[in-house]
Amino acid sequence: MTPERKEAVVSEIVRGTPSTYPAWFSARKRSKPLIVSRRVPILLVGLPVLVLLAIVIYPTIWMFYHSLRDTNINHLFSGEHASVGLENYRTVLSSERFHDSLWHLALYLFFGACLQVLLGTLLALIIYEYLKSNLARALILILLVLPMMLPPSIVGTLWRFLLTPSNGAINQALLDLGIISSHIEWFNAGVSLWSIIIADVWNWTALPLLIVYSGRVSLPPAVYEAARVDGAGQWKVLRRITLPMLKEVIAIAFILRFTDAFKFVDLVYVMTSGGPAQSSELPTYIAFQRGIREFAIGEAAAYAIIIFAISAIIVTLFLKYMKRVMKAQGLA
Amino acid sequence: MARVTLADVNKIYGTGTRAVHAVQDLDLTINDGEFVALLGPSGCGKTSTLRMIVGLESVTSGRIRFDGQDVTHLEPQQRNVAMAFETYALYPNFTIEENLTFPLEVQGVPPKERRRRAHQVAEMLRITPVLKEKPPGLSGGQQQRVSLGRALIREPAVFILDEVMSHLDAHLKFQMLFDLKRLHRDLKRTMIYVTHDQVEALALADRIAVMSNAKLQQVGGRAALYNRPANAFVADFIGEPPTNFFTARPLQENGSLTMQVDNSTLRFQLSSEAQAAVNATGGERFIVGLRPQNLTLDPNRGDPNRGRLKAAIAINEYLGERSILTLESGKARFRALVPPETAAGQRDIIDLFYDPTRVMIFDAETEDLIV
Repeated sequence: MTPERKEAVVSEIVRGTPSTYPAWFSARKRSKPLIVSRRVPILLVGLPVLVLLAIVIYPTIWMFYHSLRDTNINHLFSGEHASVGLENYRTVLSSERFHDSLWHLALYLFFGACLQVLLGTLLALIIYEYLKSNLARALILILLVLPMMLPPSIVGTLWRFLLTPSNGAINQALLDLGIISSHIEWFNAGVSLWSIIIADVWNWTALPLLIVYSGRVSLPPAVYEAARVDGAGQWKVLRRITLPMLKEVIAIAFILRFTDAFKFVDLVYVMTSGGPAQSSELPTYIAFQRGIREFAIGEAAAYAIIIFAISAIIVTLFLKYMKRVMKAQGLA
Repeated sequence: MARVTLADVNKIYGTGTRAVHAVQDLDLTINDGEFVALLGPSGCGKTSTLRMIVGLESVTSGRIRFDGQDVTHLEPQQRNVAMAFETYALYPNFTIEENLTFPLEVQGVPPKERRRRAHQVAEMLRITPVLKEKPPGLSGGQQQRVSLGRALIREPAVFILDEVMSHLDAHLKFQMLFDLKRLHRDLKRTMIYVTHDQVEALALADRIAVMSNAKLQQVGGRAALYNRPANAFVADFIGEPPTNFFTARPLQENGSLTMQVDNSTLRFQLSSEAQAAVNATGGERFIVGLRPQNLTLDPNRGDPNRGRLKAAIAINEYLGERSILTLESGKARFRALVPPETAAGQRDIIDLFYDPTRVMIFDAETEDLIV
């Protein structure tokens, strides 16, 4: 085969479009193969790696470095900051404020993130089990997902309005229903954290719901028919078949909500600013306060590293669990 | 143990213009302890029928009875049926033992007894070594046996098998055929076996119910289906290679009636019984059927009444223990099974012989068997 002929064949293969495509589509087809040299793959992989280096890896190293120094915003760029060893970590770990925020975080993880996953799972299974029409399913899923599409500032403002103690809609409704006899002070110390958790559950329950719902949809229907023939009741099927088969899907939902929990700042900032009297602060919010508001970059960096370590441990535990589940089912 | 009766059963999916009539006016009785195969091409309604018997699908109209008791609207677990699924449908998060004993667990059988029964069933199905494993680690054949075991363990009245061999390779299939036959012999349970593979049906079943286009075409034993198919569909579906069909018109010749094939010089001689039957209908056009097995190259089997066909060979397929000849005469094409050593090649003209009593005549309109 001559080089010209070869060229022609290659070009025909590359350009050869079935006659069913419209003319404009054929015209847009490239005349040369995409991968023309060995540099292309290197370029395609290399660029994202560079971006990743610039926006993730470099800042992480930078942060780790400053967590060991007495960096203040004033001399951040002048370089006049000295090594203080683990002093920043000592400050953070011994601070009462940090201990309180850890307790808040635990409450948020348990009553916020966990509740979202439980509620989402429950709703997903109910929707799948009791709504048989595809249209109804689609409509209710869209409705439930709507809160997730709102920006946090809107969600925060919305809930501040709803929870306004004197004339807010929630208090009014509870009063009218006779559930409470006087206004609940939603933004007092000891209550404001719960207000944030309520808003967050409203905002994010749809995410675990969607994850578990899609997991449930993909379970093999024949297994459920087998269970019916075997005579298993609904409760038995749920406990022995559905939930065990959804284990790893639910674990994924947990991982996503837990990782989000560690960077959860937005609603705290919009709804209470951590107040009153730091009673609704989460560790990340303190890091933000100390670093961005009070310019103690070194201490904020130590906060960030500690939060990173805690979240890494928890997520690793989840991943280990998932691996075990998948291994037990012969999937990995 | 139960006798299953389906009376005038219909299944219609959907409503209005999109309704699909999946099963039409089905009447079928399966005797106590009998092994019946539901045979038909995909989409013929056999799986719908089976799902109605199990209770997984509602019945649009008609009645299903087990031993005379109406079960039409009962839930599967109230019917005491067990089913083995085409896709096995094992519980992926259970061990094999848990899979086997799940029906007992549901019934509240104590663990010790469950264990004993699981080992008993596992022994019978030769899956004892894998009792502690989980389904994804098993081969297709083992999974299928577990699914059989799960159905067997609670000693159901009716045992239903849905295409259980369609995912097994030829070797395993052979083994499973043997296992199933043995199980039926030992347990003497009513078994209903759904398949699209006539080999499985012929090998296993006491009786075969052939379905096509939502309707039951014929129920009968092997010989009946093979030698006296109710219509052209059954004749075509049962037998490998399928029956040869020719459209033909009757022709009087030397005082006897023959069948002249359209667009061809082929002419079939008929037995006197067939001649009388064809005359009685007074029809003008018929479908003539003759199985490839009933054509032979051997002229010397001293039967003066043998018919003879002259045709040219189009293809000679050598299959080891036999050869299939595809022959042409005019526009007509047909096949014959011949000994493998047949040396004739393409375009050779040969003579084939047949026994006129083996020739089947079908009505050209209804495709029902006339004789």
